[in-house]
Amino acid sequence: MIAEEQFVLALKDKSTQAQSFEVLVNTYKERLYWHIRRIVLNHDDADDVLQNTFIKVFRSIEGFKGESKLYSWMYRIATNEALTFLKQKSRKLGISDNELQESLVENLESDVYFEGDAIQLKLQKALTKLPEKQKLVFNMKYFQEMKYEEISEVLETSVGGLKASYHLAVKKLQTYLTASD
Amino acid sequence: MNKNHNNKFKTPEGYFENFNQRLFERLEEENDEPNTDFLPKSDGFGIPEKYFESVQLSIIQKLKGDSTKVISIKRFQAFYYAAAAIAALFVLTLAWNWSQDDKIDFEDLASIDIETYFENNELGLSSYEIAETVNLEDISIADIVDKNLEDTSILDYLDENVEDFEDLDLSYEELQQ
Repeated sequence: MIAEEQFVLALKDKSTQAQSFEVLVNTYKERLYWHIRRIVLNHDDADDVLQNTFIKVFRSIEGFKGESKLYSWMYRIATNEALTFLKQKSRKLGISDNELQESLVENLESDVYFEGDAIQLKLQKALTKLPEKQKLVFNMKYFQEMKYEEISEVLETSVGGLKASYHLAVKKLQTYLTASD
Repeated sequence: MNKNHNNKFKTPEGYFENFNQRLFERLEEENDEPNTDFLPKSDGFGIPEKYFESVQLSIIQKLKGDSTKVISIKRFQAFYYAAAAIAALFVLTLAWNWSQDDKIDFEDLASIDIETYFENNELGLSSYEIAETVNLEDISIADIVDKNLEDTSILDYLDENVEDFEDLDLSYEELQQ
């Protein structure tokens, strides 16, 4: 914790800021990228959102009070950026959020950066049927292997609520994946 | 297998046959880990070669540009103030001239224009932050909704639109009951 406090001070101090941000980007770029990618699905969009996330972190670090851990604060920014990005995209295209999700999954079939097989594609289709929160919890728990306590800090939801969401998500996915076999 | 002939107790039909399954289901729930054997181990997403090396450079370059911009604004702050003062004077003169003819009020803005502004301009506030900013004690449901809502309408809405327990914000313990 002391190490993190010192690191945050270094991020705020103009004389050490540049070097500290390089360390920050290097430490979190992969984790944040995968978190964002699982929300927006497409690589180019994930790349844009990741860069915007770090720029927002850079611009907002002065206001970071240390009330939550640095990584959960950054995850929260990344989640908001990714969800806002999708909302803006659906508005621009004049379609609903659900229609956008369906078209994003359809595009995966021809996406050069999607190497998934039939079952992985089916899982992505099944994930579009879940409410936004359940999908986030599922991706963070199952694919990113985050602890409930960590997810709780990011999504500002109780651990009990997260467990319920994860159980419901897995049950729904099982129903969807086994029913259409 | 020997049966206990003195036993007067009975069990529901098939009780011992599916006991193991129920026990494992219970253990699974208590471990908080549902069975995920049916799920693929990875999601199949790929990335371009050496992407993480290149994105590091792009981000650092953008951040350097960002910090440079901040310095340059500070350096020319005095000129901006002067320019802003001149512009403000110009706008005030224009506004005064206009006010002789037609006065434009907030009400003259079409609500569609206001909605379009909010749709196209990012507020930068999460719903939590908005909730913190707006004092709920000062507003009532009538300020947001034009028509009075009947209880039955609310129940009908919840019945048709709430698919999950999660939407009702129940805790895990409540859900288990």
